[in-house]
Amino acid sequence: MIKITPRLLALIPLAVGINLALGQFAAATSLPVFLDTVGTILVAALLGLWPALLTGLVSQLAFTVISGNATWLAFLPIQLAVAACAALAAGRGWFRSVPTVIGTGLAMGLIAASLSWPISYLLFGGVTAGGVTVVTTLLNGAGVPLKWAVLAASLSNDLLDKTATFFIVRVVLVSLPARAIGRFPAAGRALGRA
Amino acid sequence: MSVGFVPGSGPLHRAHPFTPLAIAASTAVLAFALPVPFGPMILAGVLLLLVLVERAPVLKPALLTALPFWFFLYVIHGVFGKHPVIALGLSARVFAIVLGFLLALATVHPGRLVDALAERGVPFSFSFLLTATLQAVPRLRARATEILAAQRCRGLRVRGSIWRRAAAVIPLAVPLVLSAVAEVDERAIALEARGMGGVTNRTPLHPPPDSAVQRLIRWGLAAGTVTAIAVRFV
Repeated sequence: MIKITPRLLALIPLAVGINLALGQFAAATSLPVFLDTVGTILVAALLGLWPALLTGLVSQLAFTVISGNATWLAFLPIQLAVAACAALAAGRGWFRSVPTVIGTGLAMGLIAASLSWPISYLLFGGVTAGGVTVVTTLLNGAGVPLKWAVLAASLSNDLLDKTATFFIVRVVLVSLPARAIGRFPAAGRALGRA
Repeated sequence: MSVGFVPGSGPLHRAHPFTPLAIAASTAVLAFALPVPFGPMILAGVLLLLVLVERAPVLKPALLTALPFWFFLYVIHGVFGKHPVIALGLSARVFAIVLGFLLALATVHPGRLVDALAERGVPFSFSFLLTATLQAVPRLRARATEILAAQRCRGLRVRGSIWRRAAAVIPLAVPLVLSAVAEVDERAIALEARGMGGVTNRTPLHPPPDSAVQRLIRWGLAAGTVTAIAVRFV
């Protein structure tokens, strides 16, 4: 299990802030990605599974409290799945090269989409906040059955988003100074250096 | 639109913090467990009544949050699917969840919630984590804005084609994350110096008063919610 150390107490709020700041940038510039899990994946690469799960949980709670939209809480399993898969990927050193990062990101996108579309379709009738719903509506209006429209919209967004997010975290890990890598030994393992 | 605690003197403001939270949590579950369309509609009606009694200014933010959902639900289920009743039920479901949560947010003072959690033995570090996060978010957003402004001075373009906008992500993300990582040790030492590494639980000086009636209400809500799930799904 997890021991809440002062370092963790310092890192998690900053990681959640990164999630929300980059998520806001992606929304403001109308990019077809969310970028709201960069901080969670970074914590997975720096500190491992339990801190990443805690970051995912706090991130979703903070996002819900700040937006006032409690429907976000229903998507908590996706944040937790991203955290768990990122920790697994970091432990195996899958941040070591661009091809492995792209492969991991695509796999993560598949997992995230397979979790998000039943939540979106069964609990909210295919409607959630964000640009995914616009894609769902357009596909549904073009004659695609709602179930498949939600799946296609979730897949297209999540594949792109998770691949981009894993790529950003790799760029950040590579840019970390040696002193920081020394303080977070897991980061070296994530890059396949240990 | 701002959401959060709003001072007041209604029954939910005076209640133990766990009572409004129990109402919000059971609403979130009942909205799915009760049959569409009338279950969520009745639930939303009860919450509207609570909002009026409490005089909490949450109706406007709740409507603003729910409106995009209502629009897309009407288009997808009412226009394309030709099932306006389903659209109505799902809209009431979303509205009830949002209203219940905003009501809890407006009536539970964060400080009282931290005291209530500490009284029940929840480690202070967990309460601190959420509070520190809510403080860090605007700071990181402001820093992102500063980094973006600095990069634009150096010629970065954040408007135009999708590739140009996508290319702006890395020059923003890398300095933002690296500055956050550099800050971690300094903050960790400050927290350690303030005793955050301790393992003993804190004792709240003024724990919020609880009552047998409120405990009964909370247990009643839990029992009602479990019964509704059992009737619907078992």
